[in-house]
Amino acid sequence: MNMNMNMNMNMNMNNTKTIINVSRKIGLKEKIYLYALIQGLFITLKWFLRGFFLGKSNTISYPEEKRNYSNRFRGMHFISVDENKVENCTSCYLCQTVCPAKCITIIAEERYRDNDPFHYGVRKEKKPKSFTVDALRCCFCGMCEEACPKDAIKLSRNYELAVQTRAEALYDLKHLTREVIGRG
Amino acid sequence: MIEIASTIAKIIFIFFLCLSSLPLCVWFERRGSAWIQGRKGPNRVGPFGLIQPVADAIKFFFKESFIPTNADKVLYLLAPLLALAAPVAAMISIPFGSYLLFENLGGNDQYKIPLQIVQSDSGILFVLAFAGLEIYPLILAGRASNNKYSILGALRGCSQLISYEIAMGLSILSMVVIYSTFEMNAMISYQQNHLWGVFINPIGALIFWVAGFAETNRLPFDLAEGDSEIVAGYHLEYGAMKFALFFMSEYVAMMMVSAFLVTLFFGGYALLPGMNFCIQYFSATQNTIAIFQFLSLFLKVAFFMFIFIWVRWTLPRFRFDQLMHLGWNILFPLSIINLLLMIVLGYLI
Amino acid sequence: MSSNNITIDGINTTFTPGETIMQISRRIGITKEVDHKIDPQISRFCFHPGLSIAGTCRMCTVEVENAPKLVTSCSTAAVDGMVVHTNSERVKKSRAGVMEFLLLNHPLDCPVCDQSGECSLQEYNFQYGPATSNFCDPKRVYENSTTKRLSKHITLNMNRCIHCERCVRFSSEITQTNDLLMLNRGWKKELTLTDDTLTLISDYQGCLADICPVGALTFNDFRFKKRVWFLSKQNSICDQCSKGCNIEVHYEDDVVYRYIPRYNKDVNNYWMCDSGRLSYHKRQAEDRIYTNSNSNSNSNSKSLSNAILNSNSLLIILATDTSNEEAKTLIDFKNTYSYRLGKTADCYYIGSEDSKLDHLLKMKDQTPNTRGLLNLNISQLYNSNSNSNSNSNSNYDLVILVKNLQTTIDQHLLSMLEYKFQCKELFAFGVFKSDELKLLQSYSFFKELIPGRTTLEKNGSYTNCDNITQTFKKIDALENDKIKAIPTIEEIFTRIFYQDN
Repeated sequence: MNMNMNMNMNMNMNNTKTIINVSRKIGLKEKIYLYALIQGLFITLKWFLRGFFLGKSNTISYPEEKRNYSNRFRGMHFISVDENKVENCTSCYLCQTVCPAKCITIIAEERYRDNDPFHYGVRKEKKPKSFTVDALRCCFCGMCEEACPKDAIKLSRNYELAVQTRAEALYDLKHLTREVIGRG
Repeated sequence: MIEIASTIAKIIFIFFLCLSSLPLCVWFERRGSAWIQGRKGPNRVGPFGLIQPVADAIKFFFKESFIPTNADKVLYLLAPLLALAAPVAAMISIPFGSYLLFENLGGNDQYKIPLQIVQSDSGILFVLAFAGLEIYPLILAGRASNNKYSILGALRGCSQLISYEIAMGLSILSMVVIYSTFEMNAMISYQQNHLWGVFINPIGALIFWVAGFAETNRLPFDLAEGDSEIVAGYHLEYGAMKFALFFMSEYVAMMMVSAFLVTLFFGGYALLPGMNFCIQYFSATQNTIAIFQFLSLFLKVAFFMFIFIWVRWTLPRFRFDQLMHLGWNILFPLSIINLLLMIVLGYLI
Repeated sequence: MSSNNITIDGINTTFTPGETIMQISRRIGITKEVDHKIDPQISRFCFHPGLSIAGTCRMCTVEVENAPKLVTSCSTAAVDGMVVHTNSERVKKSRAGVMEFLLLNHPLDCPVCDQSGECSLQEYNFQYGPATSNFCDPKRVYENSTTKRLSKHITLNMNRCIHCERCVRFSSEITQTNDLLMLNRGWKKELTLTDDTLTLISDYQGCLADICPVGALTFNDFRFKKRVWFLSKQNSICDQCSKGCNIEVHYEDDVVYRYIPRYNKDVNNYWMCDSGRLSYHKRQAEDRIYTNSNSNSNSNSKSLSNAILNSNSLLIILATDTSNEEAKTLIDFKNTYSYRLGKTADCYYIGSEDSKLDHLLKMKDQTPNTRGLLNLNISQLYNSNSNSNSNSNSNYDLVILVKNLQTTIDQHLLSMLEYKFQCKELFAFGVFKSDELKLLQSYSFFKELIPGRTTLEKNGSYTNCDNITQTFKKIDALENDKIKAIPTIEEIFTRIFYQDN
């Protein structure tokens, strides 16, 4: 194989055409085709019997059963909240900056002392006024997760993202700060 | 009078047997393919999803029944009817048992009712004639739909059917040479007394079997269809119940070919090994024997139906040139040689 | 004969006595590549070219051959024969040390800090600084001045402060208000207002946020509005007063987020007033009129050309915020009108008197181009003091009013048009607000309003109060669909006589 390749390269260098025959020899057994046919029939028979008698299958009854995906699966976005159910996001725009699909839109505002009942002070002086993720544009690369300095935006393991209207696929702050245990 | 009544009863019996086993076939096709492919298949409607074909049928009934604007309406509507009628009609000369024996009926002491709708001396020709009709729905549907994909599918299907009909006819001819009769009951009794045809003429059986796949448009010979090449084939413009008729006709044709194959090569209604012993042991009456005969025919046909489905989910579709190569270059010469061989064999015996 | 030669990073140059090393290196363009990033000048925190030299941050130290220690380039005057290395290993080590000390207490809240992206501390730390800290104690926190409102414009976050004292020097030297000072010493050194009961009082507070090298002083109007790396920049001229400060417009898509001053030693130096800084809001105000008052199309309607042809006399009133080019176009139009139709036509401007309001930049005249119109020999329609008209006995059928963002039309002008000039038809061009349109529509002679473009949306020039003519260019990105549909004054009036063909 290697020698062939070397030869081929040498030939190319000398500007001469070489034709390498890649077709394999077909014997009588393969020409008659019946042997392979019967072989195939027995393979499918094996699987048929496996399904018929043992009831085994590789698929699952989806809405009732669900696959357990890896912990690293990247599904529907959420924003983690702290013990007071206040979003961890400080709207630093790093996710919006890093997002390759430009699906995140943040409008920031100040968390004034007056409406800061938990006295976060400088710890959370900035907060998102609106935080929108356009799931239809999102490519679920997880870069926002990587960029977030507060571990606020995360991708949950929820993969059921189907919606009825386009507007529902625009995740707003209320949807994003929904309760997600672990990673969903 | 009794003769007419019994004939009508037999027709009704065969007709409803064919039609009522259709849903089961469809269910088994889908469920069996799922098992072969490691899936679950339809399992929601009814136990094991058995009611699924009924649900499908209801859906077909309530779908909009449309006719394409520029279609030839008469031919367009005729095609699916013919598609279903031809294989059902072919069933009439296939015997599904020897005879029932009634006493004191119609003034006779013993009245025999043969379990065959038409007792003809040339039963095979009957079957061949009706089986040959199967080419018309293809042509009509493809031509009448006014759709280029339909006509392409019809063309492909026609040339396939014609090509394989030759090999099929020659293989049947070889069996006629051996049995020296066109009458089906005689063939079966020959096989009961001697050997099943398949053991006498295995190559003929193989050719008939392969040609049977081609005649019923089943994979690997469903060139009349082909999603990737011609969208759907000759029935592209058919929807709702009209499509369902095409769909059903495929299974009826499969049953017909299976029954024909069984009659020619596998002893027809001849009892399965083991049954004979039981019947002799219990010294059963003629009627019981007839029921057992029907049962063994039924089981044999069911087995070949299973093989139809099994092969479908094993083999992919042939390329058109491969199909023609197989039909004309292999099966056709092979069947001629086989026929000559059988003639010589017939002289020797 | 004493020669003045100095060698900086291998470049031999002459200098005038008194120049500092930093000034020379800036003049000859010392650039150095550090970590693939080009730093255009010697790094510094406390030095600002517009302020006095403090020499406190020690970031600008350079190595001078035969000198025992590193010297601060901002405060060391050049001496003949000096050989300076601005980026030797010793210098880098010294700067890394300075950075480590500064970062001991810096909160590193760059994600929420508005300065990040244009922060000197960030940039220098990227270039020189240690990536890690050896400091394990809790950082210093100023409990009372973490987010303290120094005024309605400025917020102080003392935790981020690196005590360069630029702001203190600015308030004492530039604005001379002395409203900021550093309290306490060492670890507890803290920036406070001189009188804690008051707020900042200068009109140049935005400059505090500009000169602050870190995010300690932030401008409330821009605070949390946008991260700076999203912003595109283009030079322009501030049209808020007759000073014509040079500015850099920062915008994203079709939205302007802020103005910051651009250095021009003849006009505004490094500074800019707050009202000019906030004037961008007017451009994108919601009540701005974008469409023609009569029809939906912004193209010049037939009614104007008909009115011109049917009129007996024409009065053109220019507000003093029209650009020189627009004014010239209208004068040409006036001349063409009187020449071709043989009817009387006059052109006047409306504006106010101008005078300096303080020792820095602020002017009384809130329009950018009064001097430009005077240079075009346009006289004032009426004087606000005397209320006497130079041309009192004329009646005008048709009045064309051209104004921009800075002028607002008032009832006084309109009633004068009605009673004094017997105006029959008024066409208004330029940038109007909806309440102005309402006022116009209350007069029966008002015909049509054709929307115009603001300074950022057109090309042109203004002549400022010191008779300096400065050109500005259209910012293409701001031309959204609404603005694209608006023709410029030049487009309308150069083709108006040829429209019928």
